[in-house]
Amino acid sequence: MKRSYLGVIILAAILMMNIVFTQYMVHQYYYENYVNVLIFGGLNIVLFPLAVFAYKKTINMRA
Amino acid sequence: MSDKNNKIPFNEDNYTHNIERNNERKLDRRGFMKTLVGAAGVFAVSSLPWGAVAAKELMGLGEKEYPHKKITEVSKLPIGDAVEFKFPGDHDDAILIRLSENKYVAYQNACTHLRCPVFWVKEQSEMICPCHHGKFDVETGSPTAGPPRRPLPEIQVKVENGAIFAVRVKRYEA
Repeated sequence: MKRSYLGVIILAAILMMNIVFTQYMVHQYYYENYVNVLIFGGLNIVLFPLAVFAYKKTINMRA
Repeated sequence: MSDKNNKIPFNEDNYTHNIERNNERKLDRRGFMKTLVGAAGVFAVSSLPWGAVAAKELMGLGEKEYPHKKITEVSKLPIGDAVEFKFPGDHDDAILIRLSENKYVAYQNACTHLRCPVFWVKEQSEMICPCHHGKFDVETGSPTAGPPRRPLPEIQVKVENGAIFAVRVKRYEA
């Protein structure tokens, strides 16, 4: 069966962004830039529905 | 679709006609992608508390005023010596250093690298973290060597009636 790995790649990229945002968020918290904490926390949360969306979009794709 | 021949019997997610081994579908592409989505969910949920405390800090609690706390008597602290105390909470270690007759500095002494207690080395006039040899400037609390990158949070002190009080934790200017 031929399959597309596009979804896997997209999800891996999303996870990478998650890691980067989380790291940034924690560091900004200790630097006391609380607005930045909220921005990156929000981005982290937005990434989850995005990941679900990417999963659903690519799950039945055939290359 | 016309390019699909009729070898595909029906369109369902859970087809079983081509399983060759036990647990073959345990971690296929689909399962792996589900794991990735779940991990994204974990990240999203775990960033919620950080957002909550940040929002709390933003809403008015910015300049916190703690009850002033007596650290020690002036007469008990010779010039060049340091004393450890707790401020503002009972678990927030802090250190007070008397640099000259009337100059006192105080910092929360959890190292900004991995929170080991920073101590004062009188002979070298440096604040040193024993864990990874981080060093801090005693005048400003900024890191001068080793892994820490952020300055130690400074505590404002005042002298009243021969006693030294901790007033508040200063905020970073950066």
